[in-house]
Amino acid sequence: MATDNTATTAFGEVSRVRGIVFEYLSFGASVFGIFALAVLLIYVTIDAFDLANANPLWLLTYFITLVVPFLGFCLYSARDPAVTRRALVAAGGGLVAIAAVFTAIEAFVGQIPRLNWPLAYLFVVIIPLTGYLTYVGAQGRAGSVGFGLIGRLLGGTAIGLAFTVLFLVFDARLWFLVYTLGVVPAVLAYGYGRIRSVPTAQTAAVPVAIGGLFVAVFLRPVVDTYPTTVFIYLWTLAVPVAVAGGFVVNARGSRTAALAAAGGPLAVATGVGLLGQPLGLGVGGPNALLVVAVAGVPTAVYLHRVADVGEGVTGLGLPVLLVAGALAGALLVESFGLPAPDPWLNGSFVTEAPSRNAREAGLYPAIVGSVIIIAMVAALSFVLGVATSVFLEEYTADSGIVGALTRMVQINIANLAAIPSVVYGLLGLAVFANLIGFGFGTAVTASLTLSLLILPITIISAQEAIRSVPDDLRRGSDAMGATRWQTTKNVVLPEAFPGILTGTILALGRAIGETAPLIMIGAATTVFSAPTSLFSRFSAMPMQIYAWADFPQAEFRYGVVAAGVITLLIILIGMNGTAILLRNRAEGEN
Amino acid sequence: MAHNQEVDTEAMTRRGSLAALAGAGALALAGCTETESDSGGDGGSGSDSSDSSGSDSDSEMSSDDALSGSINIAGSSTVFPLMSAVAEEFAEANSEVQIDISSTGSGGGFANFFCVGETDFNNASRPIKEEEQELCAENDVEYIELIAATDALTVVINNNNDFATEMTVEELSQIWQSDAAELWSDVRDEWPDEEIDRYGAADTSGTYDYFIENVMGEDGHTSDYQATEQDNTIAQGVSGSEYAIGYFGFAYYFQNPDELTAVAVDNGDGPVLPSLETAASGEYQPLSRSLYTYPSTSSLGEEHVAEFARYFVSQTTNEDLVAGDVGYVPATEETQQEQMQILEDAIEQAQG
Repeated sequence: MATDNTATTAFGEVSRVRGIVFEYLSFGASVFGIFALAVLLIYVTIDAFDLANANPLWLLTYFITLVVPFLGFCLYSARDPAVTRRALVAAGGGLVAIAAVFTAIEAFVGQIPRLNWPLAYLFVVIIPLTGYLTYVGAQGRAGSVGFGLIGRLLGGTAIGLAFTVLFLVFDARLWFLVYTLGVVPAVLAYGYGRIRSVPTAQTAAVPVAIGGLFVAVFLRPVVDTYPTTVFIYLWTLAVPVAVAGGFVVNARGSRTAALAAAGGPLAVATGVGLLGQPLGLGVGGPNALLVVAVAGVPTAVYLHRVADVGEGVTGLGLPVLLVAGALAGALLVESFGLPAPDPWLNGSFVTEAPSRNAREAGLYPAIVGSVIIIAMVAALSFVLGVATSVFLEEYTADSGIVGALTRMVQINIANLAAIPSVVYGLLGLAVFANLIGFGFGTAVTASLTLSLLILPITIISAQEAIRSVPDDLRRGSDAMGATRWQTTKNVVLPEAFPGILTGTILALGRAIGETAPLIMIGAATTVFSAPTSLFSRFSAMPMQIYAWADFPQAEFRYGVVAAGVITLLIILIGMNGTAILLRNRAEGEN
Repeated sequence: MAHNQEVDTEAMTRRGSLAALAGAGALALAGCTETESDSGGDGGSGSDSSDSSGSDSDSEMSSDDALSGSINIAGSSTVFPLMSAVAEEFAEANSEVQIDISSTGSGGGFANFFCVGETDFNNASRPIKEEEQELCAENDVEYIELIAATDALTVVINNNNDFATEMTVEELSQIWQSDAAELWSDVRDEWPDEEIDRYGAADTSGTYDYFIENVMGEDGHTSDYQATEQDNTIAQGVSGSEYAIGYFGFAYYFQNPDELTAVAVDNGDGPVLPSLETAASGEYQPLSRSLYTYPSTSSLGEEHVAEFARYFVSQTTNEDLVAGDVGYVPATEETQQEQMQILEDAIEQAQG
């Protein structure tokens, strides 16, 4: 007994108040930022889709035909009674809670502008619940199959569309020559070398490709007759995608299946591309061919894999479920004559030019400008950033004069990351626009300037990624007799790749939203047609959105700007999604 | 026997399909190539995206008739809505002409773009200044001055402000001059003892220059105010503070008359409210001003720029567009004819 007493007095009491206060302060800090952002995004979304004017019955119809079946699918895929119970409690309890809180606020505080309880329920309960159930459902087999299929359909379409946008400024005929004279011979040489184990043929691939490139550039002004764009796309993009898909299926299954998986989508794409417009399908032409081929082949390959594995085949019904739900909803809305909201962000907004009338205003030229700029920025900053960081981390010495120089470069790079973007705009104006003469406000000037702007971020994050590769791996590679180049290529870069991509994603996200340097280099506020070359004047999405924000009409400031912001976000998320998929794949391989 | 037959049919189909393929290939080669169409204009290395195969005569016809090329416009944010409305109509009718417009402020446009020969037009909400003329002359940029429309520079106050709805030019000057009044009561004794909250145009703006010249004169502009190129920011500032005052072009007030209260300005002949009518008749003085655009003479030598300039002048009397959509006062027929004459002379000189 006595010993017990002395122990407690000697140990004393430790106050836990500080710990608890700290915990809740940090919780509050994290919630505050996210909450403010969520409110902003909710309002922007409501404005962009005109949800404030949506009839509650209209919302209810689509909720029942589209959202409920989707949630059911996720629950079916998860097959977990506990999750089902939780979801039902959240949906039901959330409904009661939101309705009660809203009525209370409206009774005691006052009307909340442009928000009613069905909308609040949608944003506060249904969307997070859908996200959570999507995550849980994707863990199940059926869910992962369904989301995989939808991902390939959407992703393929997005990549196909991105290609069509790039071909607005890049010369398709030059690409045709480069592909035919450079890429095809090089791939053939490499493949031949691989199969027959002839190393000389493999090493010859690179010089062949470069030679082909030069011949193509030389021939471009000379040759006068080219296939039409449809055939160029078919030959240079659709056929290779199909062949690659065929190889993947062939390695896994039979030759017949490979032929079907590659040939089927290719035939459909060719049919749509060539005959779509004559037959009056409403779609057709080279762009349709490209999109159908790029979306169709991966989908077919995926279908084959699912059928081959034989698990979760029911998941393939998900796209059908969603399309049927949307159609049923549209049918019900039509037949009951429910007034539908009139969204600002609709088909014509992304395909039309800007206008002085809010209803006719579109973002198409700015979208094209942004996509082209960001594609070039991604390529440039990735190459320059990775090269710099590899050199700084793997090649330079740590001591002596070179080491001192390296440290100075390091410090400068770190400081460059903190320089305001306007300064980069001035630099771009002075160097790229005036000195080198790439022109005011052209895509080339813009993408070089933005590449420089994000280069420090790319370099620093790539350096971190390379540094985090364990030294044991390098030493092991050295011990096997590998040269430094071989170690870097085979060990360091594959290990560091996911980290490098993470940094690049963050940097590109910053570049796509940048306005100040674009203003400095004289990028146009508004253009009325999509650019036709890299040296024509560009507008970018943030520039156009900024201009709209100053229009006198309230429709522009509330509706059109919101639609522009959502479009920018969708493209940003699509871009990041692609990079994240690449990163996850690389992580999986490691 | 059965086996043989199978082989036979297979051979047949293979031969047949080969022949069909060859035929299709030949057809494809014959019918689905196109030749390099002459890329007209000076737009650079753009590839013509004419998807229709064949019918060379057609494409040549169109490339001969249609205007093509690019038109670069910069300058005043006040003229920006008017210029983009006209450009939108022109671009719709001439799909091969690429027009880009930047809203840089009158002075910014002259200094950074127009007088160094980067743009074809510069919009301005005041006449070109002497130092800008010198800069243009240094770079051999010649230009003409075209009147685009008339604007009524509008002084606005908060809707809850019921005392300052009428002001003399002298009082406006006291509020905005470099040695500005601090309190409303400093301007007129019966006004409240509250601080004046000022929102105005940034010094790159032509609106700023015009306001100084016609209201304060020698006394200059105060630096104790929120300066911005964005009318929207001024409007939000003024509508958010009861004792605020601001000024901007008429268009914003015209489109949102309920958000703010316009001040009736007294130039000695009694207070006059800004409106399309008072600005057109010249009653709203001294704040009704002409808006300008300056085409460069060398650019007018190109047919597509000349045609756009003609179209612009012809639209300055279009009431639906200038007054209805944008909110400025259209030019009179007489002004339009004068401007057209100036323009035609310049075009003739440039192209002849």
